[in-house]
Amino acid sequence: MFGPKVKLDKALYEKLKMYSTIAGYSSVEEFVHHALEKEIKQFEGATSEEEIRQKLKGLGYIS
Amino acid sequence: MSNRVKVSRAGHARAGNSARRCQANARQVWKPALRWVALLCTVCLVGTATPLSAAGRKVVVLGIDGMDPKLLQSFVDQGRMPNFKALMKDGDFRPLQTTMPPQSPVAWSTFMTGLDPGGHGIFDFIHVDPVKMAPYNSMAVAEAGGRPVNVGSWSFPTSGGGVRLLRKGKTFWQMLGDHGLRSTIFRMPVNFPPVKAPGRSLSGMGTPDLIGSQGTFSFYTDHRKDWPAQISGGEIFEVTVRSNRVDGQLYGPPNTFRRFPTKESLELLEKGRAVSINYDNPKLTQDFVVYVDPKARAAKLVLGDQELVLKEKEWSNWVHAEFEAIPHVITISSAVRFYLKQLSPKFELYVTPLQIDPEDPVMPISQPANWSKELCSQLGRFYTHNIPEDAQAFKAGVLSAGEFWDQMMLAYEERSRALDYLLAHPVEDFLFVYFGTVDQGSHMLWHFMDREHPGYVQDDLLKDGIPKLYEMLDSRLGRVREAIGKETTLVVMSDHGFAPFYWEVNLNTWLLEQGFIALKDPSKQESGEFFSNVDWSRTQAYAAGLNGLYVNLKGREKAGSVTPGPEADAVVDKLEKALLSMKDPRNNRSPVSLVVRPHRDFKGPEKDKGPDILVGYSRGYRCSWESPLGEFPKAVFVNNHSPWSGDHCMDYREVPGILLTNLRISNPTPTLADLTVSLLQQYGITPPEGLTGKNVLEPKK
Repeated sequence: MFGPKVKLDKALYEKLKMYSTIAGYSSVEEFVHHALEKEIKQFEGATSEEEIRQKLKGLGYIS
Repeated sequence: MSNRVKVSRAGHARAGNSARRCQANARQVWKPALRWVALLCTVCLVGTATPLSAAGRKVVVLGIDGMDPKLLQSFVDQGRMPNFKALMKDGDFRPLQTTMPPQSPVAWSTFMTGLDPGGHGIFDFIHVDPVKMAPYNSMAVAEAGGRPVNVGSWSFPTSGGGVRLLRKGKTFWQMLGDHGLRSTIFRMPVNFPPVKAPGRSLSGMGTPDLIGSQGTFSFYTDHRKDWPAQISGGEIFEVTVRSNRVDGQLYGPPNTFRRFPTKESLELLEKGRAVSINYDNPKLTQDFVVYVDPKARAAKLVLGDQELVLKEKEWSNWVHAEFEAIPHVITISSAVRFYLKQLSPKFELYVTPLQIDPEDPVMPISQPANWSKELCSQLGRFYTHNIPEDAQAFKAGVLSAGEFWDQMMLAYEERSRALDYLLAHPVEDFLFVYFGTVDQGSHMLWHFMDREHPGYVQDDLLKDGIPKLYEMLDSRLGRVREAIGKETTLVVMSDHGFAPFYWEVNLNTWLLEQGFIALKDPSKQESGEFFSNVDWSRTQAYAAGLNGLYVNLKGREKAGSVTPGPEADAVVDKLEKALLSMKDPRNNRSPVSLVVRPHRDFKGPEKDKGPDILVGYSRGYRCSWESPLGEFPKAVFVNNHSPWSGDHCMDYREVPGILLTNLRISNPTPTLADLTVSLLQQYGITPPEGLTGKNVLEPKK
C-alpha cells in the first residue's frame, strides 16, 4: 500500500481509470501493475542454450 | 509431352495470378533484409544421358512414414485394405530394409540420396557440437545476419541471415533434373530449405515453425498452477478472465530489429557495477482478445482485424497472424489455429505452433519460392512446420487422446486435399507425396491396442485407431490408383516400420554405473540438463540423441579425455562388448541387440562426423525420455507409461518399412538405397558413383 509512487499526468490517469473499469480490473493500480508486468516480460528472455534445448523438445522423441 | 507443356503453362498462369493476389494483399513491407536466404545445393551433372526409350516415363511414389509391413499384412488379411490388397495382387510387396538408426531423418535422407549416413551426414534427429558440447537439430541450422548497426533500442543487420540444410548428397530428383526431367516433391523430410531442381517442391519434416523450433504450441489458461512450470514442446501462459474478457498474446520470434539490455546486465547495473551491457532481442508479439459468452458456451476471438466465433471444443480455421518488427515497415506473416478446449470452470485455449505462412513465407519452404503461394491459393493455408500432428500437446495432457485424434485428422485432411489437387493434373515426370499420419498415430495410439503395454488404456474407439489410420491411407492409395494410368510406375513405400515401446533405457545412467562417466557431484545425479554435472576429465564416453554414443575424444570434445587411435578404439571395443552384454534384471532380457560403428560400417566423407557407436535396441526397448539430452535419472530401466507408446528408434532389423509397386520386386530383401537406384533406372539413368544400391524394380512377367 505504501510502496514506491509513480507520477502520471492527469489525462493518462483518467484514461487508465476508464479502461481499467471497462477491462474489469478492480483498481487502477491492478491495471497498471498488469500492464507493466507485461512490458517487463520482454526484457526477460531465455538464455540461448535453454532456447536451443527447448526448440529441440518439439520433436516428441524426448522429454 | 504436349500435355506436359500445357500443364506447365497452366501452372505458371495460376502461380502468376496467385502472386498478383498476394501482392495486392501484401502490406508495404521491407522483406529483403529480414528474410533468411537459403543456401541451395550446387547442381553438378553426373550420370549418363537419358535413353530415348525412357522418354515419357512417369513414376508416382506415395511415401507413408512409419507404415509397418506386419501390421499392413494383418489389416489386409482382415479385409480392411482393399486397395493395398489389389496392389499386392497386381504387383508386388516386400518389407523394405531401413537404415541404422531407423529414424526418419536418417532413412529419408538415404532414400533421397542413395547414401548411408556416412554419405549424407544425418545420424540422428539430434547431433552434438563437441566443441560447445551443445545439442542441435541435425537437419538444418539458422545462421545469423551480418553485423548490426544499433540506433538506441533499434538494431539493423547489415545483411540477411539464412537457413542451411545440413544433409549432404544429391537427391534423386536433382539427378532426374540433370536429365531434363521435372519432379513434384510434396513434403519430403530433410529438405528444408528445398534443394533447387527442375519442377516444384515443398519442404516437410525438419521445417521449423516461426520461432525456429520443431513445433511449440501455446496454451492459455486461468489455472496456470495446475500445470508444471515447463512442458516439452509447448508453453503455458496464464490469463485472467475479467468481465468475460481474456487478453492474450501470441509470442513470435525475437525481434532482431529491437534490443534491450539483458536481465543480468540490468541486475549488475542496479548493484552499481560498471559493466559492458549485453543485449537481448525481445520477442515479437501479437495481441488477441477472447470475449466469453458463458450462456452460449462460446466465445468471440479477435486477432487484428479478424473475428471468429468458436464454441467450446471447436477448432478454428487458419487465422492469419502478423508480427510487426518495425511498425508499418517490416511485418512477419504467420498462421495459427485455435482450439477452444474449455470456457469454464477453467478457461483453456490451445493454439498451434506459429506456422511459416505459406501465402507469405518468411523462410524458404518451397521451390520455386512462389509454389507455396500457389498451393495456398488453391487449398487455403496449411500446416508447414516439421510434424503437424501435435503429439507433444497430447503427451503433456493439453490435448486429450480424442482431441489429438481430431487434430491429427485436420492435418490428414489437408494432406488429402493436396494429394487430390496434385493428382488432378497430369504428372510431369515424377511425383512424390508424403503422409505422416500413420507414423504419429502409431507413436501415440499403440497403448490403446496392445494389452501388454505398461501404459495400456482401454478405449473402445481408440483401440481401433491405428487400423483406422491404415484404412485411411488405403483410401488414398485407391485415389492414386484411379488417377494414374496403367503405364505409370507406382511405388508405395515407408521409411521404417513400428514396434511397441515398453521399456526405457537410461543409457547415460548405465554408462555412469559402468564407469564410463564420472559426475562432479554424485549427490546431484538427477539435477541439471545436458551433462552439466559431468566431470569430463574422468569421462570416457557419453550418450546423446536417440541412438548415439560418443567417445570423449581429445581434440574433438570440449574437454576430451581419450586419445584418438588405439586408446579410443579400445574404449569403443569395451563399449560394444558391454552394450551387447547388458541385461534388464527385471526380466532378464537383453535390451541391446546390435551395435553399429559408423567409422567401420559406413561409407563416405561424413562417417567420422557422427556418433562413434549407434545403439540398436531390442524389440520393446528404446532410449529413455531423459537420456538424449544428457540427463541421469536414478534407474537404468524404467517402464514407459507415456502415451508415446510405439516407436522405431531401435535395431533396424526389427522395424523394416514397406515396398509395394505395380512392377515386380526382383530382390526379396530390398533396401532404401536400392529404391533410390531403382527410381533412376525407371528413366534409364545410370546411378552416379557412390550409390551402392541395386535396381530391384523389374517389369511384370
